[in-house]
Amino acid sequence: MAEEPTLLPTVLARIASLETADIAIGIPTYNNGETVGHVVEIVQAALCDRLASYRSVIINADAGSTDDTVEKFAGKDLTHSPVVQLTYAVLPGQKLVPLDYEVPDKGRAVKGILRAAQQLQAKACVILAPNLRGLTPAAVGALCRPVLEEKFDFVAPYYKRHKFDGLVTSGLVYPLIRALYGKRIRQPMGGDFAVSGPLVAHYLAQNVWESDKGRVGVDLWMVTEAINKGFKLCQARVGAVSRVFREPAPALSATLAQVLTEIFDLAIRDISVWQRVRGSEEVPLLEAAPDLPLAEVALDPQSSIDSFRLGFKNLQPVWGAVLPPATMLVLKRMGDGPNARFIFPDQAWARTVFDFALGYRLRTMNRDHLLHAFTPLYLAWVASFAGEMRDARPEQAERRFEALCLAFESQKPYLISRWRWPDRFNP
Amino acid sequence: MWQNINKALVDGVHRVLFGVVDFLPGLVVLVVAFLGAVLVAWVLSRLTRSLLRLIKFDKRVEEIGFSSLADWSPNRSPTLLVGKAVWWLIIAFGLLVGLAGFATDLASKIVVQAIAYLPNVIVGLALLIIGTLLARFLARGALIGAVNMQMRSAQFISVVVKWSVLVITAAMVLDHLRIGGDIVKLTFAILFGGVVLALALVVGLGWKDLISRIGSKPTTEQPKDESSTLHRL
Repeated sequence: MAEEPTLLPTVLARIASLETADIAIGIPTYNNGETVGHVVEIVQAALCDRLASYRSVIINADAGSTDDTVEKFAGKDLTHSPVVQLTYAVLPGQKLVPLDYEVPDKGRAVKGILRAAQQLQAKACVILAPNLRGLTPAAVGALCRPVLEEKFDFVAPYYKRHKFDGLVTSGLVYPLIRALYGKRIRQPMGGDFAVSGPLVAHYLAQNVWESDKGRVGVDLWMVTEAINKGFKLCQARVGAVSRVFREPAPALSATLAQVLTEIFDLAIRDISVWQRVRGSEEVPLLEAAPDLPLAEVALDPQSSIDSFRLGFKNLQPVWGAVLPPATMLVLKRMGDGPNARFIFPDQAWARTVFDFALGYRLRTMNRDHLLHAFTPLYLAWVASFAGEMRDARPEQAERRFEALCLAFESQKPYLISRWRWPDRFNP
Repeated sequence: MWQNINKALVDGVHRVLFGVVDFLPGLVVLVVAFLGAVLVAWVLSRLTRSLLRLIKFDKRVEEIGFSSLADWSPNRSPTLLVGKAVWWLIIAFGLLVGLAGFATDLASKIVVQAIAYLPNVIVGLALLIIGTLLARFLARGALIGAVNMQMRSAQFISVVVKWSVLVITAAMVLDHLRIGGDIVKLTFAILFGGVVLALALVVGLGWKDLISRIGSKPTTEQPKDESSTLHRL
């Protein structure tokens, strides 16, 4: 096993020399030399200007970059925002991270940053991705201030996105997490967030850091843990912040499989929590960072429809193993109908996701096969949404997402029923 | 002379009678053993089927991924297959007991040979089960992967993967059972060589355009798909 990144004597000595800090800003990295310099500059600008009254430290946890990522931090070690650098070794297999812009074994990086923040007795610890585009000093302030000044424990990011951007989150992760945990956090898997000192201590006291949950699905685990333990949550508008793609991007099916694995594993773990949750509660949305206009993006549903039809032609036996006949009938109608009327009804989509969660839990078939077989169904939803929202304004699209979330919430009794009695007849 | 003829006749009759007396108990043992085996087989077979139905064996077999067992079972029921297997095992055992009473040497030879052959049967059976499961697993994985890569021939690829594994499995099983000898190996080599050649042709012809595009410089920049700039999360 690789050594603990935070326990190295040199790091402890460095932290001891800094004594304490109000804000610890952690940036996990792995070969992000091209982008991380800009992120550090923005962070320093925020710390010098908007957050100048607070003592702050920048913490970099690097997974063994082979480019000049580490050097980019070395040149930024300034008096008002000193830099603490941690490194940790990852196994070659852990570098094959399916998510588009992840750091390998991110859980260890986050744990290292949290440990350092705890040593520094930081009141707020912010984690930022190393490849952010559109980050502004105002956005950094928007994440920090609710913890420092309004005593929130967890600040989730609220990105301004084009209606067709981040559809895995909007159409799948957000409605599912909202229906399960009952909190309306728009970006539950946003990797940029802030946590309070007490929440840092709570996270570090949990025995998950050496498990898979602490290694790959750490962002989602941190959100759900904060919800489950009743910490005070809010969201902060951070503007049109996005990530720079790492090429080549992993296949959509690999991304979906990883995202669903994280959510379904949490659902299995937290069964006693989410079975009692009904409906959902608003999570305060704070501070508006100045927004830049978004570029128009078109999404042609035709290729997604073709992918779904190909899947329907070939994967019926696989889908039929987890989906009830009524859902298969809906899919058949979609497959046979004209493109102009290609609609995936919200309730059928919600039930499909829930049935896959149940199939995952019951191991109806090999889990990897099950999750990869989900891709054409997701593309069917994308095609349906893209066709329906082609000319919609952003607020109309947001209302559409709200309707989708309500459909997930209304179908939750179906999930609970099937989860409790999976053998019961399900037409 | 008449005395000699009479003695030879009496001796002959005695020999035949002694032969019949020697033979009859063995025959009776064979018949009794067979009838007993039929009775025991009938009882045990029914008992096994009832027990398996009680524990919903067919459903459980399907749940743990042995659904292809149903394809080889009478009326698609693995319970019936196990019942039949129990039936024939007991009948075979009864016949062996009968033969032991009938001709001791023959029975012991059969038993020795059967015991010596048993490991081959067990290994062959294990290979068959593993091969079938592997074929099913790989075929499904190939099908899903090909669909996600939007390949029109996904079903064909899946079938090719499945039958490639099944053919290799069949060749290995027959080799372990020492059936067919070199003919099996030769047939397998020819079949496998043919499959590889066909795949090479398919890949070669299918990727001809791709290879030629890689070899030449693009004259104009390809327009970027707008949706490729979208984030997933």
